Amino acid sequence: MISKLLDPQSVALVGASPKPGTVGYVILENLVTRFRGAVYPVNPKYDEVELWGRKLKFYKSVSEIDATVDVVVVATPAPTVPSIVEEAGRRGIPAAVVISSGFAEAGNQELEQRLASAARQYGVRLLGPNCIGVYNAFSNFDTLFLPLDRAGRPPPGPLALISQSGAVAAAIMDWAARRGIGLGLVVNYGNKADVTEVELIEHFAADDRIRVITIYLEGFKYRGEAAKFLNAVRKTVPKKPVVVYKAGRGRAAQRAVRSHTAAMAGTYEMYKGLFSQAGALEASSVREMFDMAKALATQPIPRGPRALVVSDSGGMAIQAVDALEALGLEVPEVPESIARELKRELLPFAAVSNPIDVTGSATDQHYKVVLDALLPTAFFDMALVITLMQVPGLTKNLAEYIIDSRRYGKPIAVVNFGGSELVQRFEEVLEDSGIPVYPTPERAAKALWALYKYGEIRRRL
Amino acid sequence: MTHPIVARALAEARNKLREDEALSLLKAYGIPVPDFAAVKGEEEAVEAAEQIGYPVAVKIISPQIIHKTDVGGVVLGVADAQGVREACRKLGEVLKRVPYAELEGILIQKMVPRGVELIAGALYDEIFGHVILFGLGGIYTELYRDVAMRLVPLTEQDAWEVVREVRAYRLLTGFRGLPPRDTAAVVDILTKFSRLLVDNPEIREADLNPIIALEEGRGAYVVDARFML
Repeated sequence: MISKLLDPQSVALVGASPKPGTVGYVILENLVTRFRGAVYPVNPKYDEVELWGRKLKFYKSVSEIDATVDVVVVATPAPTVPSIVEEAGRRGIPAAVVISSGFAEAGNQELEQRLASAARQYGVRLLGPNCIGVYNAFSNFDTLFLPLDRAGRPPPGPLALISQSGAVAAAIMDWAARRGIGLGLVVNYGNKADVTEVELIEHFAADDRIRVITIYLEGFKYRGEAAKFLNAVRKTVPKKPVVVYKAGRGRAAQRAVRSHTAAMAGTYEMYKGLFSQAGALEASSVREMFDMAKALATQPIPRGPRALVVSDSGGMAIQAVDALEALGLEVPEVPESIARELKRELLPFAAVSNPIDVTGSATDQHYKVVLDALLPTAFFDMALVITLMQVPGLTKNLAEYIIDSRRYGKPIAVVNFGGSELVQRFEEVLEDSGIPVYPTPERAAKALWALYKYGEIRRRL
Repeated sequence: MTHPIVARALAEARNKLREDEALSLLKAYGIPVPDFAAVKGEEEAVEAAEQIGYPVAVKIISPQIIHKTDVGGVVLGVADAQGVREACRKLGEVLKRVPYAELEGILIQKMVPRGVELIAGALYDEIFGHVILFGLGGIYTELYRDVAMRLVPLTEQDAWEVVREVRAYRLLTGFRGLPPRDTAAVVDILTKFSRLLVDNPEIREADLNPIIALEEGRGAYVVDARFML
């Protein structure tokens, strides 16, 4: 019943509060003003309160709610939580998100045990405790206790984020909201007393709204967990890519040095091995994770590693070639016959082998000529297009030409850098049409690499 | 199913397999090891060496000694009976220098031709289960930390990937005029090693060190192995 946790039609909030500044108030406001579903506030201290221009009936307990409830969100002091979950279970509510902290993370293993067994006894699927819970951009089911003006909410889109850290999840959401990155579903599972990342991966694998699963992971905690993760990711990657960032790469230095193997094996190497074995793409930072995810969600998988580089700046083009080659991608020369043809159509001082430098005197049309001449051929599998819009000959029409070349069925990443309104507008048009844009050649190259690598992983399976 | 060699060691409350047991265990899983014999005295040693064929390596078998080479417990490239006798006497000297060590026996082992030295190892971790580590042998592994790890069980494809992942892979494919090595044989060792670990969950740590990869088509051999239970 993970779907009831992530996509409920109705929600009861235990610990709902009309007092601004409290956790129970922020969550209630988010649910009442934005959630596309029924909301039932629960708090025995109140009967009816007028909030956000409407009269809200408060319930004494979940048992009192005379309607179907898909999920109960609990934000009350820790000691009260097990009995609330029990009551919800008796009442037939299939899922619970426990925001409350003060469980195992605070040394209260016993209380967490009680919570977990209450959930198990009544078959309630439990997220948390000690989590920020769920953000669902499709229905605005949002259990975050972070006010909107502090933590932006990203628009609906094809990326899902599973985060071990609540604070990191919130920061990523805020960042993604600002950049218009479509992060449709975000889940933070806290102490994972019941639902773990493994089940969430399996759920997102089957969710058609999600095209890429991103995971922020600090470390596993249960016996045998790595093998479950391996199986879940292995089953997912034929359907959709999984990108993971593992925080905390330090070695387990305490381990006694007994054998060579023990001396050399840090815990991070184990995670790294696990990710490759599972077919997950590993990112070296959160930013890189989303650089990759953006391309994976929008671009086709290349057939091979050969990249076309076209630029209006020779310097940027060289950086792109360095970055692509360092990642094992190829930048092959343009065949003689096509190069001759390009020579006729481009400026006399343009470079027509690969990388192609249309120069700072280029017009939109020059890019179009290059893309139309080379992308349909069998010589290239992908394109890295650098458009420094500061030169006078380029206009926003260039975006249309780049978007048009999507029809060749090959991945494209654009490098665009600057702060003018034209630059920003240009970038928005591209991104809205599903062309990922990056501020540096290295980041674009890494995104193209992710597409290539995902293709390799798929072919391997 | 726990192998009888491991089961016996556990029954005797030992946390380490003897040198000859370790090699026998590998052999039982089809992992190539050079011909060897565990003997008690000098005369038996000569007899075994004659049978195996020279050159041989003569090694100390002692439960207290973990790094044999460090204490002079290994004599390599012994070419004749006289050499075997001298080597046996040398091993006797070791005991004088390592007061608590007992000499349980002597290992006579066929010398393997020179090749690329690799290491495979395993660790048991509560969360990851058994993991296999692979890297270039000798001091370089520790110097460059050029290792790759995978969870057990390894498929044949996992084994190929782990071998290709280390930078030292170039040494196996033929680097600067050096001949290409029998990588398929190395991959075969890794998959069999994985099977061994699946069957014997009591193994906490293992080192197959070195694995000597010979030229293409000529195989790869585990020359020394250590198993901690």
